[in-house]
Amino acid sequence: MSESVAGTVPAIEVRGLEKTYDDGLIRALDGVDLTVAAREFAAITGHSGCGKSTLLHLIAALDTPTDGSISVNGHDVVHLHHASRFRREEVGLVFQLHNLLPRLSVRENVEIAMSGSRRPHRQRAPYAGELLADVGLGGLSDRLPTQLSGGERQRVAIARALANDPPVLLADEPTGSLDSASVDVVLALFRRLRQERETTIVLVTHDEAVASAADRIVHMVDGRVISGDGAEAGGGELRPTT
Amino acid sequence: MPLAALILKNLWSKKARSIGIAFAISVAVMTVVTLTVVSSGLEASAAAVLTLGHADFTVAQNGVSEVLYSSLDENQLRDVQSTPGVKSAVGVLLETQRINADNPLFIEIGIAPDELSQFGVTVVAGRPYQETAIHEMMLGWRAAQDFGLHVGDRFDANGTWNTVVGIYSTGISYGDLGGMFPLTAIQTYNRVPGSVTLIFVNVLPGASVTKVEKAITSAHPEMTTIQTATQFGRADRNLVFLQAAATGSTILAILIGAVIVGNTMLLSLFERTREFGLLRAIGWTRSRVVSLVVGEGVVLAVVGAIAGVALSFAATAALESLPQLRGVLHANYTNQAFWRGLYTGLGMAVIGALYPALRAANLTPLKALSRE
Repeated sequence: MSESVAGTVPAIEVRGLEKTYDDGLIRALDGVDLTVAAREFAAITGHSGCGKSTLLHLIAALDTPTDGSISVNGHDVVHLHHASRFRREEVGLVFQLHNLLPRLSVRENVEIAMSGSRRPHRQRAPYAGELLADVGLGGLSDRLPTQLSGGERQRVAIARALANDPPVLLADEPTGSLDSASVDVVLALFRRLRQERETTIVLVTHDEAVASAADRIVHMVDGRVISGDGAEAGGGELRPTT
Repeated sequence: MPLAALILKNLWSKKARSIGIAFAISVAVMTVVTLTVVSSGLEASAAAVLTLGHADFTVAQNGVSEVLYSSLDENQLRDVQSTPGVKSAVGVLLETQRINADNPLFIEIGIAPDELSQFGVTVVAGRPYQETAIHEMMLGWRAAQDFGLHVGDRFDANGTWNTVVGIYSTGISYGDLGGMFPLTAIQTYNRVPGSVTLIFVNVLPGASVTKVEKAITSAHPEMTTIQTATQFGRADRNLVFLQAAATGSTILAILIGAVIVGNTMLLSLFERTREFGLLRAIGWTRSRVVSLVVGEGVVLAVVGAIAGVALSFAATAALESLPQLRGVLHANYTNQAFWRGLYTGLGMAVIGALYPALRAANLTPLKALSRE
């Protein structure tokens, strides 16, 4: 099922994370602890409503926790001053729906994620082409998303998530709307990215078969991690946000 | 891809909407530019009266609704003439008369023959009229050319036939398009004996024009002095009202247009909620999202402003050709009119786009992405 933890330095460290809604009536996360090592491919799995997507969104700074701490590559995610910069430079996001902009070509959809990045303008289009080639879509750069299959669109979304070379890739049910052949392609791509680009990957899925592609499976039930929290990967002090 | 390219691509992908907004902006800009060039044309025509006498400044009755309604009497004229520093002060009675459809505002200048040279008039053919010859007149050379009249021909003015005894030139086209009559004759025709409309004043060499003006207005608060076209409103309230109407229309156009643009862009925002959510999720800053939305508005504003100016040319030409307005309306295309058109368009677009832009920028990425 899972290989050994890839590195000992934690890329993601979550401690005592809580998230409640409706003045505490709904408790989505209830004291989650999780450590993901650098270059590790971890899958978080569990039934619908167990809090796995909420956890991923909090790690991605798309939402703020009620309590607890999150560190991603030393960045204190709970107290970020520049959440946009964090999302642009530190994490790449892949969603269940590809969310590609239909009026932009495939290459432009990847390029758009480089907006505001340090990469010079003239290098952006060629680099988007490289990323697309990397995910096996080199010949489709000029096509529109509507001209691609579901699996191809998701691979474009993965290329977009890699646009700024983030050290961490966060994928929320990325195979949820794909056929089985496309699921295999996407999972193989994740494994290759971890291997070749040394990207830390956290994948959220309700599908045990998909989760089995990861190095480690983290099981969640009712807002708690019940197994595979990765405590053996080590921890560290939070560095101040830059 | 550069932000500008994305802006153009976004607008191009929604052609019908983009054209609709640009059209709304262009109509507002057309209205504003047309009003501005027309009011500016009226101002230029009205202010041309000032240039007639080659004077340092002109004296008129204070606070009249229209400069041609100014009325000064002989005593006031004498007072002005005797003001220290005044070299010459020529009293002139001005009237307008409709000759035909092409000449609805033929200007009649009543001036004493012995003051013609002080007024800068050169008789180019024939002779000046006699002071007491009530049926003699001179035509400006442009008017004579337009009417095809020569010395010795007869000209119908003020309901009577007058003999053209001379053709004159003032060196000012406005003056050369009119006719000159003995002052007493015009006063008699119009039943205003002893009255003049304006007094054209030249000061002595070395005298301060401003000081002389002050001396006149201090002694006669019922009079006002005008040196430049911009001071014309002192003696022509209608022009001031017209200018105020043009400014008011600009503000109204900006506000109404901003509501239309804002409403349309807000609808667009709702349609593109997921898109903005995605952009925020992948690291776009709020300011960048604002730049995108406002940038789209600015492009539409510029396109709308250009189209609006083009439409205003057509609208003005159409107005000028209307029988009721032919010869009365003269468009005066100034830089101010074009700038006003541009900032009307920009004002509409930026004000209209700002709220949708801020809404888009402040969307919570997760909520926006979950929007169907």
